Amino acid sequence: MMMWRRIAWTALVVWFVVTATFAMVTAIPTDPVKALLGPHATPEAIERVRTYYCLDRDWFGQYACYVGRIAHGDLGESYRSKRPVAEIIEDRIWPTVQLTLAAIALQLLIGVPLGVIAAVRRNRWQDRVASGFALLGQSAPSFFVGTVFLYVFAYRFGWFPIGGYGQGFIDRLSHLVLPAATLATIGVAYYSRVVRSELVDALGEDYVRTARAKGVPERQVVMRHALRNALGPLITLVGLDLGLLLGGAVVTEYIFAWPGLGREVLQAIVEIDLPLILGVVLVSAIAIAIANLLVDLVYLWIDPRLRDRQT
Amino acid sequence: MKWLLVLLVACNVDRGPHWRPRDASTLRFSTHQQVSTLDPTIAYDEVSVWIAHSLYDTLVDYAPGSTELVPRLAERWEISPDGRRYHFWLRPGIAYADGRPIVAADFETSFQRTLARPDSPFQQYLAGVDHVAIVGDRELEITLKHPDATFLYVLGMPFTTPLRADHAGDLRRDPLASGPYMLDSWDEGQRVVLRKNPHYFDPSRTRVERLEMLENVPRDTQFLMFEKGELDAAENLAAADYLWVIEQPAWQPYVHSAPQMNAFGIRMNVREKPFDDRRVRQALNYALDKQHTVKLLNGAAVASHGVLPPGMFGRDDTLKPYPHDPAKARALLAEAGYPHGFEIDYVTISDEEGETTAASIQADLAEVGVRVHITPMSLSAYVSAVSRPDGPAFSIASWVADYPDPSNFLDPRFHSRAIGSTNDSYYANPELDAVLDAAHAEADPARRAAMYHRAERILYDDAPWVWNYHREMTEVDQPYVRGYVPHPVWGRDYTSTWLEAPR
Repeated sequence: MMMWRRIAWTALVVWFVVTATFAMVTAIPTDPVKALLGPHATPEAIERVRTYYCLDRDWFGQYACYVGRIAHGDLGESYRSKRPVAEIIEDRIWPTVQLTLAAIALQLLIGVPLGVIAAVRRNRWQDRVASGFALLGQSAPSFFVGTVFLYVFAYRFGWFPIGGYGQGFIDRLSHLVLPAATLATIGVAYYSRVVRSELVDALGEDYVRTARAKGVPERQVVMRHALRNALGPLITLVGLDLGLLLGGAVVTEYIFAWPGLGREVLQAIVEIDLPLILGVVLVSAIAIAIANLLVDLVYLWIDPRLRDRQT
Repeated sequence: MKWLLVLLVACNVDRGPHWRPRDASTLRFSTHQQVSTLDPTIAYDEVSVWIAHSLYDTLVDYAPGSTELVPRLAERWEISPDGRRYHFWLRPGIAYADGRPIVAADFETSFQRTLARPDSPFQQYLAGVDHVAIVGDRELEITLKHPDATFLYVLGMPFTTPLRADHAGDLRRDPLASGPYMLDSWDEGQRVVLRKNPHYFDPSRTRVERLEMLENVPRDTQFLMFEKGELDAAENLAAADYLWVIEQPAWQPYVHSAPQMNAFGIRMNVREKPFDDRRVRQALNYALDKQHTVKLLNGAAVASHGVLPPGMFGRDDTLKPYPHDPAKARALLAEAGYPHGFEIDYVTISDEEGETTAASIQADLAEVGVRVHITPMSLSAYVSAVSRPDGPAFSIASWVADYPDPSNFLDPRFHSRAIGSTNDSYYANPELDAVLDAAHAEADPARRAAMYHRAERILYDDAPWVWNYHREMTEVDQPYVRGYVPHPVWGRDYTSTWLEAPR
């Protein structure tokens, strides 16, 4: 019952986001048709194309036209490429999913151990080094990190390809490393901070003292007892990141010529390619909503107390 | 990001050219843009047209590196004395990439397709066609409603390529190639790979087996790839990279530049104050330091006296750009009743070139008392804004011609007929209209050139734009890229190129 209400609520949020985007984009005083047909276009040609894309109607007419198409499962065609938006998204979402998952994996694999070390060795040099890294990682914008990675690891050392997507598993993986690392830099820093502070709190709890008093080895105390309880907030963070990153990482994808959603939407915004913008927003909104839903489910799974409260 | 790259790149030691091709059968290069379609009826943006030109041949085309028309799929043609009937004889043995022959009726099919597609930007070019007559498989005759000296250029545009009516595929992704190359693969947004069309009639135009164009590669990334030898050619370099390259003796022989069919300046709405006064418009022309702008563009431009670029037929080379003369500008402004100048908004496009030139314009005009406020806009916002009669009166203007004829510059921009669409200066001059109309129909090149000289003179004096510069394309190639000649219309043109280590 609870679940159905969540899903209905999610659908409402997605509808609202799409409508708001539609309102905002159509409020921009531009004429996509003129940009589309180029400067040589005659007024007749402009009028013809305007009719073709429902742009000759008023706001409600255009909205009805758009929603009507979505209801038939048709996201429309990109103004620029005349390609169905659903097809473009289908093409672009997979590179973005790979990049997102790789970045989140890196964030967890590096961020969590870093946070654990910092918490266990708090106020010692290990903690300071970890804090230093976190500060740098959180303050460096991705265009900076991306450019440095590109120059140092691809251009100077030649360990990785300079840009692009790659073909075949190994080649793809080597193309994926630098953009994923760029994207993960902020996350690694942030995750390590969160894990550190949660773990420091948990290590001061009564059950930790009890465990230590029973003679449980310190390693087990940290890993099995304290860390498990400290990871709760991390799940929320991963969920949020998952949703956000699936909308496309504009700057990183741009620098590394990674053919994901972010780069596509950037181009679409510059060109006011309305169907494409709306299509990507729709997909991102759904991705964020689903990610939130997943987070809630995972919470229910790891914390039985919540389950009891819901029934 | 730029300064960082410059700094990092400056520490590098070994940055010389690569002497041997990685793969002599494939030419690799990139673009920062994205190919939007392979459909010749629709393709209109720069990179899509470039691909279209490699895939689709037309009746006529340009000679390498020049704007001279040469027969391509046509073997020869005749134009009737009244200038209305164009009779073409097709080259024998021409075929599509699938091996089936190209016949005369296929040219009519592409005309019909253009007229039937509401989203084709090319219909206006066929407005003058009265009818097409097909004589067998190898002859066709196109009759125009009125004589038009530019019609052959239209027949060099890729949308007029022959198309078979029974072609079942979607031309957007499944092109029916009639040109030197055919589509090998296209990962949209990533790379387009073209390979030699085995049925092409002129193997000398496909000396490179495959052309691979990477899409969406930012300029900085492009240059790193080029230096690593991952690309064989790099174009349109970022300022820092370009300046570096042209100063390196090792690279200098491999830097190419060529004038293109474009014009940049400032448009003024001549119906609005203060631009309704010709003296004000001339004053701004004197105030602008065009040589400075050229320097800002790393020398990859030439100062202009009008919209017709160097090398263009009909351009009056005796006219020189307005000299940079602030004193004269101030005097003209005072004469027009603006001794203390005025304040004005300048709308520009928010890209590197648009913003750089805006800052320079602001500084130059401040010198004569004209206080400029810069408003940057995205391209689509800009296009909509300036096309409204109540839109900004003072803005960046640029024009890229579809074919190398003065009529494709002057008529759309300054003929009163184009007011409300492409003539966004709202400039109307019956004398100019008459000269342009007469020149359009004139068949004799010498008389036609004289008419365009006259038109240039009128526009120079009346100054509906502040004339600024013509942009050149620049490209640097690896030394093993041989026989390359940049083209004034197509930009990159690899049809005479081959890859071989220099001896």
